[in-house]
Amino acid sequence: MNSSFLEIRKISKVFSPNKNVEVKALSDINISIHRGEFAVLSGPSGSGKTTLLNIIGGLDGASCGDVLLDGIAITALDERQLSHLRRDHIGFVFQAYNLIPVLTARENIEYVMRLQGRSQAECGQRSAEVAAKLDISELLDKLPNQLSGGQQQRVAVARAVASKPKLILADEPTANLDSKSAANLMDMMQQLNEDEGITIVFSSHDPLVISKAKHSIVLRDGEVVANDHVG
Amino acid sequence: MFRVLLRIALLSLRRRLSRSLLVIAMIAMSLWGLLFMEGLYDGMTEQVIDNAIRSDSGDLSLFAREYRLDPGLERLLAEPAEIGRFLDEDSRVRSHVSRLRQDGLIATAHYSRNAVIYGVDLGAEDRHGRLASYLDAGAYDFGDKGRGALLGARLATKMKVTVGQKIVVSAQNSANDVSALSLRVVGILKTNNMALDENAVFIEMNKARELLMVPEGVSQLSVLLYNKEKVAAVQQGLRVRFPELDVLGWDELYPALRQGREMMEIFNLITSLLVFCVAGLGIFGVMLVSVLERLREFGIMLAIGTTFREIRTMVFVESFILGFSGYGGGVLLGGLTLLYFYNFGLDLTMFSAGLDAFGMDAITYALIRPSYFFTALAAVSVATLVSVLLPLRILKKARPIEAINKI
Repeated sequence: MNSSFLEIRKISKVFSPNKNVEVKALSDINISIHRGEFAVLSGPSGSGKTTLLNIIGGLDGASCGDVLLDGIAITALDERQLSHLRRDHIGFVFQAYNLIPVLTARENIEYVMRLQGRSQAECGQRSAEVAAKLDISELLDKLPNQLSGGQQQRVAVARAVASKPKLILADEPTANLDSKSAANLMDMMQQLNEDEGITIVFSSHDPLVISKAKHSIVLRDGEVVANDHVG
Repeated sequence: MFRVLLRIALLSLRRRLSRSLLVIAMIAMSLWGLLFMEGLYDGMTEQVIDNAIRSDSGDLSLFAREYRLDPGLERLLAEPAEIGRFLDEDSRVRSHVSRLRQDGLIATAHYSRNAVIYGVDLGAEDRHGRLASYLDAGAYDFGDKGRGALLGARLATKMKVTVGQKIVVSAQNSANDVSALSLRVVGILKTNNMALDENAVFIEMNKARELLMVPEGVSQLSVLLYNKEKVAAVQQGLRVRFPELDVLGWDELYPALRQGREMMEIFNLITSLLVFCVAGLGIFGVMLVSVLERLREFGIMLAIGTTFREIRTMVFVESFILGFSGYGGGVLLGGLTLLYFYNFGLDLTMFSAGLDAFGMDAITYALIRPSYFFTALAAVSVATLVSVLLPLRILKKARPIEAINKI
């Protein structure tokens, strides 16, 4: 539980919207997250939470610094290796759900497992198991546009969890949900964290999400201003 | 893995059903037109060539050396029987027939014209090139005493003679005197071989020998083969065996027809290119819009672990489904249309005057060649491949997070 699982070392990120302008989104970030932790990156809008999550997930590159995921230097990987890393080791939950619109909820949940080459039987069994935990068994044959926001987000969580990744990155997952749905979702994710032992890193400025975290990292203007373990 | 990508591809096409169907229909219709035109035009060309081969040149013709440059009775094939025996022993040869030919004059009480007198054996000609099938009026027969003549259709028209009327044919004989023969027109032949239809007067071989004072020897020996692909080999064999003779293929005797065939091949190639462009632009338009519309969706897929290669496969699958569905539809429509016109022909009687001028039959039978379908398949495949290159390039440049944020 206490071994260092995710190491963020001296990460900086500078955006250049044009030649004469440079925006420093992250500055010399150093964070260490342990295996199985339920961590949250909080801070006001523009503090760099999403940028940091994107760099951790290999969706965006850092201007300098390293990210080590279970000993793998993400920042040194090429696009193909990053794709495989995301497929095999990282689950994503996005603020806007980002389900594949032409696939049913079941197919969305099974999608990553199918990419991994798992059998149909295994995918079916696992999707049913995860759907039961997230209380979406009745929704499996529906298309994303037939689901409410909260239901879509639960399907997105199920997709992230189903392939049993080492790490789940969730970018403001409750931002588009009402307070009841948000609370439900957080309870479910906390349960998954405990049951499946998956390390979960959130970005959020929702007090409800922050209150659930065991490791709270606060960012402001691209810098870490607090880094506390709770409990 | 592939199944899920295939499913997404199919569902994406279904999501844009009307657009997908439009492209498929566009490709199918262009292919239909391409196949129809190729088959019909090739049918026209080959019919003209077939008429020339059957009625005159055969696949190969043998002449005495330089007869073609200066046709005359002093340049005859002296030993046609020996050549005939050699040909009889060759299993590739289907039939051969001898002709005695001399330029001359045809006259009635009112008109006279230059003509080419052919001494032939009608039975052998019919077995050889089905000459009787060209009979337009009268009978395919020289009569009991061999005093009948068959005339080319255009010659008969110009001479204003019909079946049953008397004609006189005259020509220079082997003694350099002018001989004449009074004959009765028993039949009119319309071969659509303009050289024959304009000039030919067919008379019995013995009458021709009598008229021309040529007891033996022939001007031309026409040879038909079972397999057209063996022409070059048989020609080479004959040249080796009879080095003193000219052994000419139909294309050497009728170079204009060979050029016509070559032009038709170029025309077909251009038509294939047009179909290639239509198919390519159609698929390109749909795939470009599809990729641009779905950049966010592709971004999501990339973000959760799909490789660019897998997405590229999916885009190719989508475009190939469009291309091959169109190809299938076009081949089905085009194939059935060609089959119909292959069996029943296209009746162009209303244009018969114009077609006659080019030596074409009023009823044109389409050809069906496997190459039409392979060429079309190649054109659609290449068009499909090329049409997704730009959309894929756009996709390749898009980073997952940027694509996701394109809402």
